[in-house]
Amino acid sequence: MALLEIDRVSKHFGGVRAVHDVSFAVHEKEMVFIVGPNGAGKTTLFNLITGFVRADEGAIRYAGRDITRLTPDRAARLGIGRTFQIVKPLRNLTVEENVMLGAFQHTGRADEARRRAREVIAFLKMERWGPLPALGLPLATLKRLEIARALATRPKLMLLDEVVAGLPTGEAMALAELLARLPEWGVAAVGGVEHVMQVVMRVAHRVVVLDHGVLIAEGPPDEVVHKPEVIEAYLGAKYKERGL
Amino acid sequence: MTRRQLLLALAACAACALLPLVVQKDYQLNVLFRIFLFAALGLAWNLVGGFTGQLSLGHAAFFGIGAYGLALFHGKLGVPVWPALALAVAAAVVASVLIGGVAFRLRGPYFALATIAFAEVLRNVAKNLPDVTGGDVGVQAPPLFAGAISRSFYFAAVGLTACSLAVTAWAARSRFGYYLMAIRENEDTALSVGVNATRSKVSVLAISAALTAVGGALYASLFLYIVPDQVLAIDISNEIAIVAMLGGAGTVLGPIVGAIILETASEVFKNVFHEAHLLIYGVLILLVVLFLPEGIVGALKTLRRRRGKG
Amino acid sequence: MDKLWSGVQAVLNGLLTGSLYAVIGMGMALIFGVMRIVNFAHGAFMMLGMYVTYVLYERAHINPYFGFVGAALLLGALGYLIYHGLLRRIAERSDFMQILMTLGIALILSDGILLTFGADYHQINIPLLDKNVHLGRITLNAPWLVSFAIAAVLAIGMFLFVMRSSLGRALRAIAQNRYAAPLMGIDVHRVQALSFAMGLAAVGIAGGLLLPVFYLYPGVGDQFTLKAFVMVVLGGMGSIGGAAAAGLTLGVVESLTSLYWGNEWAIAVDFAIFLLVLSLRPAGLFGSQRV
Repeated sequence: MALLEIDRVSKHFGGVRAVHDVSFAVHEKEMVFIVGPNGAGKTTLFNLITGFVRADEGAIRYAGRDITRLTPDRAARLGIGRTFQIVKPLRNLTVEENVMLGAFQHTGRADEARRRAREVIAFLKMERWGPLPALGLPLATLKRLEIARALATRPKLMLLDEVVAGLPTGEAMALAELLARLPEWGVAAVGGVEHVMQVVMRVAHRVVVLDHGVLIAEGPPDEVVHKPEVIEAYLGAKYKERGL
Repeated sequence: MTRRQLLLALAACAACALLPLVVQKDYQLNVLFRIFLFAALGLAWNLVGGFTGQLSLGHAAFFGIGAYGLALFHGKLGVPVWPALALAVAAAVVASVLIGGVAFRLRGPYFALATIAFAEVLRNVAKNLPDVTGGDVGVQAPPLFAGAISRSFYFAAVGLTACSLAVTAWAARSRFGYYLMAIRENEDTALSVGVNATRSKVSVLAISAALTAVGGALYASLFLYIVPDQVLAIDISNEIAIVAMLGGAGTVLGPIVGAIILETASEVFKNVFHEAHLLIYGVLILLVVLFLPEGIVGALKTLRRRRGKG
Repeated sequence: MDKLWSGVQAVLNGLLTGSLYAVIGMGMALIFGVMRIVNFAHGAFMMLGMYVTYVLYERAHINPYFGFVGAALLLGALGYLIYHGLLRRIAERSDFMQILMTLGIALILSDGILLTFGADYHQINIPLLDKNVHLGRITLNAPWLVSFAIAAVLAIGMFLFVMRSSLGRALRAIAQNRYAAPLMGIDVHRVQALSFAMGLAAVGIAGGLLLPVFYLYPGVGDQFTLKAFVMVVLGGMGSIGGAAAAGLTLGVVESLTSLYWGNEWAIAVDFAIFLLVLSLRPAGLFGSQRV
């Protein structure tokens, strides 16, 4: 059984078709990345899954349970963790306190939450940032903070929204290595949105390609990347002929 | 709490307890009453305004419900004095759930507007239903204490402050408090980690309302007579908010510092304050917003942190 | 039959009052739409406009129906100064802080006027006050008709300005997307200062027009701040046309409430509408278009 099922989901904003009739699944032990040019609907899809936006049509199921109409906090408590593409740190709290927020999902005690937060911070190699306020930290650190905070909630399904976008290649690949280790934390499956293709090729088991809200291809990364529809979506028709 | 903080706290408690031995005059004790009352009210407001970041400018509603609750449950329904106080608090909590239910669906300025609107509605209702509330003329409130009245009220105010302080200190270290601060910083982030923002906001408002209502009841009982323009006025809402913000919204001790400063100044410069107190409040608000947004305690903390980093 | 005519009279009176409300609301909508600032000092500025017009009348014997121009100029200038001096400095801060700032300004204005002029109620007496226009069973008070006419011209002027002029376009651009606007070459601070100035000028004019038919005292503005909020919320958060429609509606509803339930409840009706709209349709009744 799939951990996450997207079943013919559509979302319109006014006249704009953000997501149209999209279906795919994420199974346990999988890392599935959603890719596509800008405006393809990737973040909207995440917002639909995590309840920040409500689908107009279709259904979303998590561990067999219909979560289409769930509020974001309930989705989180079911075990869906997410990061935000535009980072949303709690600015006036320290990095450690930010991560503690996630840890509090499984404990009511501040000292226990702090202990768990420190474990996650150590895993993400952020110890030196721990006691600093989140205000004014560099983007790379804030992106790791997004992951740390979500990871502290011990999600079964982790949704990463453009976690490496904007990072220099070295950083991006280092982060990718860490992402591959997420299963050590009980994460059963990972869904990601990315357009840094090197990371996707390295880490993803499967890739789902969206263009203008429509799913145009699906499969293992090295296969999908050669498909003509995909090349056309990214680079335009004339490159399709050249066959990259 | 560290050992040192605990000792300081106990010393402060002892000082407060022993103060009436030194300060004997009723008039002076009433001033102290006012200082501690507003410290308690400021702390209560701070839970919602400072920790959770929801700017309530309608806390007079809860103050007034406490005052009118005590007066009416006892005067009109014959309930004994202390149970009437309890009922007044309960009424304030119920009101807070109703107000919160509407107002918390709104973000930012609309929330503040809604709180003002609710308080004003209550004030108008109090004015327009003379059969129930005495209307403009007002209504009598029963005395909670017999005997050494000023001293008793002083202790009551100290007690309320201690209560509010305890709640604040607990919140600052608990999961509940972290959730509130997360809501303040970024509600979406809080939701994404499983915080039920609506429930947290309504809960903290209820706690705040309860404490504020006790303050209102004490106030009514000291003066033995209340009118709508006194206990439900936007002035009260403003004063409470300023006390907390001047001292430091979001800090634990801020409101106490703010109350000491504001209420003492208000007493020392009484004549000036009586004539121009709104002007002074206005200027204070502008100064805080422009130069001291974290309040006094907040600014000190930031200064200390910066020094610490070298 | 009498009841019907009372009703019609009330509706017409409501439209007359509503026209002034509309001007107040449009000023607020302009400020809110462009700057996203909830101007808690709106009523206080209106009160200031009333006092300016009053002083012009008492000292220089200028009829308020001309004197309101003075109020407009003074408030416009004041608005421009306040924007650059105070509001601009906290432009990037939270809503919390901006609300507090306008609240502080409101307190300073009200108390400042109280200290300068005292708490006494003032009233002026111009000959026009006694004149009435009779249309069959309906009696309309002349001053209200004059202010209706002026308010209507002003409202239409504001609407056309915002919709047609290039400054108006800049205004709407900022209202729609304040981050993209500078990229289009718009000097955001200058446009915002002008909007604030215009919003205050409008409310100053409303004050001047209200002077002949109302009591003047330092606290007179407070009720109008709330009415302004109600209009902005009802009219759709920043829609000038919506605020105008809401103003007229509010005037009529208040008037009918007064007729059937008495004056005290007229104020309560403002709140009731406010809370009702906020809970049911935060986007407003008259549309969710911005300025």
